[in-house]
Amino acid sequence: MDQSAATLPLKPKDYKSALKPVWCPGCGDFAVLNAITKALAFMELPREQVALITGIGCSSRIAAYTGVYGFHGVHGRALALASGLKAARPDMKVLVAGGDGDGLSIGGNHFIHACRRNMDLTYIIMDNEVYGMTKGQASPTTAPDWTASKLTPQGSGVRPFQPAGLALTAGASFIARGFTGDPNGLAKMLVAAMEHQGFSFVQVLSPCPTFRPEQMQWKHHVRALDAETTNNPIEAAQRIQADDGMSTGIIFQNRYPVFRPGTGVDAGMGSIESEFLI
Amino acid sequence: MSLAKKMSDMDTFLAYSVALEEEAADRHDELAGMMDVHNNPEVAETFRKLAHYSRLHAKEIRDHSEGSDLPVIAPWDFGWDSMEGPETADIGEMNYLMTTHQALKIAMSNEKRAHNFYFDISRDSPDEAVRALAGEFADEEKEHLALLEKWLANCPEPAAEIYDPDPPHMPE
Repeated sequence: MDQSAATLPLKPKDYKSALKPVWCPGCGDFAVLNAITKALAFMELPREQVALITGIGCSSRIAAYTGVYGFHGVHGRALALASGLKAARPDMKVLVAGGDGDGLSIGGNHFIHACRRNMDLTYIIMDNEVYGMTKGQASPTTAPDWTASKLTPQGSGVRPFQPAGLALTAGASFIARGFTGDPNGLAKMLVAAMEHQGFSFVQVLSPCPTFRPEQMQWKHHVRALDAETTNNPIEAAQRIQADDGMSTGIIFQNRYPVFRPGTGVDAGMGSIESEFLI
Repeated sequence: MSLAKKMSDMDTFLAYSVALEEEAADRHDELAGMMDVHNNPEVAETFRKLAHYSRLHAKEIRDHSEGSDLPVIAPWDFGWDSMEGPETADIGEMNYLMTTHQALKIAMSNEKRAHNFYFDISRDSPDEAVRALAGEFADEEKEHLALLEKWLANCPEPAAEIYDPDPPHMPE
């Protein structure tokens, strides 16, 4: 990777790679990419000091579209990979991203423990309430009466997760909800998330024009949270429960001890290799 | 206070103008890329041309601001009347089957917003020099609009919707 120190300040597009995203035109994930790059440019972070770790799914392709270090990992395991990276390289800014299926179903267990562990990571879930890459099945955030998938023609019948509520219960210290229709507001939110010391979780309402075309109307329903950010988890829980999931803003922020494992590796490569069984 | 009334000095006005044009150019490039990937080369070419014109305008404004130390404004602090800059196309309006006609209609609507932005400043800015330059920019946007109208006249709306026998949402 090019050292960027000599070329600072970088513009948002300098944080993009040369690859053209294969997302469907109209997809909200484009706005997330733009918001991330705007946030990184605003923070003037050198590219080589940032890593974006992702899982599997449409949104998880985002790692390839940025010019920072990236790892397009295994399904649901982005947080595990990112935690390892942060433990080994605490000096780096580590972002994690994926979709609602990746993060809340396959990766659900990693998610709740990442929340309570409170490592200094920023996790972005691009929530379109559907598995898009596999052609449109119900995900953990899909409404129970969504019948457009042939796998669930009567709807899944299962109540959806509330990602913000789940994060709060699991002990996350920063919880926000953004919307791709407001990429500049989202960029500002991501700056706050990245500046937060500890685990910051940002759920992004990101419409899927292909499998959930009705979500293109979200822009008429999304509104700003009508309350200041609270550090009181009881208040935050009440707000999350009372909300229809369309309010955006930083819902909860508090200071909890940040988990910073020591690297503890003092062995040389020779002694490590001698332990390998080939 | 309206955005136009906030344009009380030349540097602030130029910073807004550069951001408006550069963001529009970057977005048009991004849209061209989307259409390339989805095998819609005609519309990709249209967006590429639009990016070229936005970039020319941005360069012209940059030339105006040579020697000035333009203020650095965070993207969310511009306070645009729309969610992004007035000339920036909304990604949510894109579709892989869109036609050049549709792309030009979207571009015209963006140019109109940009024209209105400059026109309002030419009328309401408290600074005389800013009002004069904004008037010039508004006239240029009007020329762009006229150009797009001509272009659109040569790209009539297709009689029937484009049919894709293998759409991405076809269940497997």
